[in-house]
Amino acid sequence: MTEVLAECVNATRRFGSFTAVDQVSMKIEAGEIVGLLGANGAGKTTLIRMLLGLLPVSEGEVRLFGRPPSRQTRHEIGYVPQGLGIYADLTVAENLQFSRGVYGGPRQDYDAPAALRPFASAVVRDLPLGLQRRAAFAEALAHRPKLLILDEPTSGMDPLARARLWETVQRTTDEGAAVLITTHYMEESQECGRLIVMAQGQVVAAGSAAEIVGQARVIVVQSDSWVSAFRALDAAGLPVALVGTTLRVPQASRADVANALAGLPCRLTEAPATLEERFFELVRAREPAR
Amino acid sequence: MLGMIVKEFRQLRRDRRTLALMIVMPAVLLIVLGYAASFDVSSISAVVSGPQAATAAAALHPPFHAVDVAPGQDAAWAHSQLRDGKAVAAFVTGARPQVLVDGSQLFAARAAVTALSSLGHSGGAGASASAPLAGAAPQILFNPELKTSYIMIPGLAGLVLVFIGTIITALGVVRERETGTLEQLAVMPIRPRDVFLGKVVPYFVVAAVDLGIVLTIGVSVFGVPFNGSVAVYALGALLFLFATLGTGVVISSVSQNQGQATQLALMTVLPQVLLSGLIFPLGSIAVGVRWISYVFPLTYFTEISRGVMLRDEPISGLWLPFACLAGIGFAMLVLATLRFRAYLQPAEGHKRRRAPAPEEATALAGAGERK
Repeated sequence: MTEVLAECVNATRRFGSFTAVDQVSMKIEAGEIVGLLGANGAGKTTLIRMLLGLLPVSEGEVRLFGRPPSRQTRHEIGYVPQGLGIYADLTVAENLQFSRGVYGGPRQDYDAPAALRPFASAVVRDLPLGLQRRAAFAEALAHRPKLLILDEPTSGMDPLARARLWETVQRTTDEGAAVLITTHYMEESQECGRLIVMAQGQVVAAGSAAEIVGQARVIVVQSDSWVSAFRALDAAGLPVALVGTTLRVPQASRADVANALAGLPCRLTEAPATLEERFFELVRAREPAR
Repeated sequence: MLGMIVKEFRQLRRDRRTLALMIVMPAVLLIVLGYAASFDVSSISAVVSGPQAATAAAALHPPFHAVDVAPGQDAAWAHSQLRDGKAVAAFVTGARPQVLVDGSQLFAARAAVTALSSLGHSGGAGASASAPLAGAAPQILFNPELKTSYIMIPGLAGLVLVFIGTIITALGVVRERETGTLEQLAVMPIRPRDVFLGKVVPYFVVAAVDLGIVLTIGVSVFGVPFNGSVAVYALGALLFLFATLGTGVVISSVSQNQGQATQLALMTVLPQVLLSGLIFPLGSIAVGVRWISYVFPLTYFTEISRGVMLRDEPISGLWLPFACLAGIGFAMLVLATLRFRAYLQPAEGHKRRRAPAPEEATALAGAGERK
């Protein structure tokens, strides 16, 4: 049986009358990468802060490694916040030494990884963002945590640096740790074994990317007059997206689209929705309830 | 340009602390300074000893007023009274009458010398107004030449510690909050107490080194005597540093950025400079304002520093400033640790200790949300 590293049971967090996280239940098991998707304000960061033990739950329960978050459970967690959380005025090696001072462990675990070794003596703020993030990763991983929590880890990074970070994430799970990651990049979320989609503080979908997309389909509109078609669909209030000169309309029936186009010369077909389109559909479905 | 001006005013309106600093502080400082900024000494405390003490005390004229009349005591007692800061002047009657003045209280001593001259105690001339003291010339103790540097440098040593202890510490801690590393510390298995001490000890060491440098320069360059016990002085400095470092941490814990921390720190440092007795004698500050002086740790450290360095005052004579410093230091340490704990304690720890209602828990997490 796979070990459950983190678990929320009906976890709720309120700030005054505002409910940031509402009855969320989820599990993270050893060796898996779980992606937490959601628009800004969906409750992702609040959920992470509850898991980290930075915020108490208003209702429900959060358990890490089978017990409530505590100073002991922090030994088993690695965390890379969006702002990196490493000391910009220390070198990479000095940051790792500080981490060793807090967590303890063999000195060799806190040596800079091979890719960072040439920069071990460099002050963090003098490094490019990609290397800074790698340094933050190295520090978060040095004490060999069972659970790695990453908040928007690839934000602002170029594709190559992103790919390298995902390699590190994969390697971490290969060694048995679990990773909980929030991201805005839909293509990156395909790297996650399991996704949790949040909207308005609630979990609105969970499963693999394929499971979340399910049978969702979009109407594809092809037309030489694609500019006019776009205007017509937009004017009709349909959520139209432009891919090249092709228009994609999720959450709409063929009849709705045809009506909106009002006789414009177009070719309408159906296609499976992408994860991004399904995500928008899920999020929009919650908006009226706001 | 008009757009820029409007934008600046809007920003200023929302920055309440800067607005307070710009508008309220000048008014407050002017009022406080108006009452505090005085070098005039209108009342000089005196002790009188020796067989004719009662007669001499009765003959004292303003600005002198007797705080202790002891016919059974001698010159040594009178000396000890001045050393322990009980009075500024001492009149010793008997076969060898003496008039002693505490030179470490510069402005009061100068006023005493002037007053004594007018009464005829100017160096051997007769003193018709006070016969028991006839022929006694004033003898200035602890700072015979009434040098300003002798009283300023012991006080300035404290001021250096205030700057490092309050401003630098406040900035050092708030920087962690600004850069997000405080949140990282909150996720690490490190106790709030260890974070607090880990942040404070380096500043403590730097401040101690600075104090050593200031004292070395004061003694070697300016010739300020160090007559008292180094151990007593070190103990006073230790308590004072705890108070100032704790103040710095408390300031940092209620500031969101370095600008706010600097403003708040200045709001505590500036009044200390003016009201601690460092520049203006405490006795000259209007009573309505003087109570503020006794809230500040620098007031007590200045008293200890001058007492130990100039008067060789033992710890027994300084128990009150020591006790006040210890009280302020303890209060600041507790407050600073509690503020750290509110941020760094695991969420379950909060629940176990206080079992807050949801609304309370929300307020508790406010610190975390405001990073």
